[in-house]
Amino acid sequence: MDDKEAYSQRLKAAVHYTVGRLCQNAVADCEMEVSRQAIAAIAETTFRQCDIFAKELEAFARHAKRHTVTTDDVKLLARKSTALSNFIQQKSEELALNNQELKKRKKNATKRKSKDMENEADEGARGTEN
Amino acid sequence: MDSTELEIVFKKETVSKVLTMFFKDEKTKVSSDAVNLMTEMLKIFAVEATRRSMKQAENEDCDVVDLEHVEKILPELLLDF
Repeated sequence: MDDKEAYSQRLKAAVHYTVGRLCQNAVADCEMEVSRQAIAAIAETTFRQCDIFAKELEAFARHAKRHTVTTDDVKLLARKSTALSNFIQQKSEELALNNQELKKRKKNATKRKSKDMENEADEGARGTEN
Repeated sequence: MDSTELEIVFKKETVSKVLTMFFKDEKTKVSSDAVNLMTEMLKIFAVEATRRSMKQAENEDCDVVDLEHVEKILPELLLDF
């Protein structure tokens, strides 16, 4: 139990760090300042929101009879605000495009490799013939 | 400043670990694309909280965003997510 708590504390610290940077960045743009307590409060809220998000995602995945949370579940998570849901939709399309390109590149790379190997094999065969 | 040039994002590893920690069922997993989207989601949540707190501080004519400003915007923020 203690291990679990320590683990959770470390994750919370990681979230706190990023939230702190995001916060400082946004505040610096408007030439304002932010107190440490305010950052801590926002970080804590974000961490607890994660809890809610995770439970919802799990429930969505379960409802679709899956054990893996997919992008569709995240899209459903963003249903409450139109702007947010549009943004997430757009991001997910970008991700899908990126993945396709990566796959293509990988395919080409493996093709090239197999070609190279064929050539090498041919040369090797020729070498033995001679 | 370097921090403004590089986009600040949550680490994928962190988000994935946080999510799996909060799942009730240990068998539940998260796809890599879903983690990517969740990092965006959490970033928006944190930035939205900050922006709203800043607005609240501005309305009260304060230069420093403090706990009381966060407290005031919290209920509406949670209703929006």
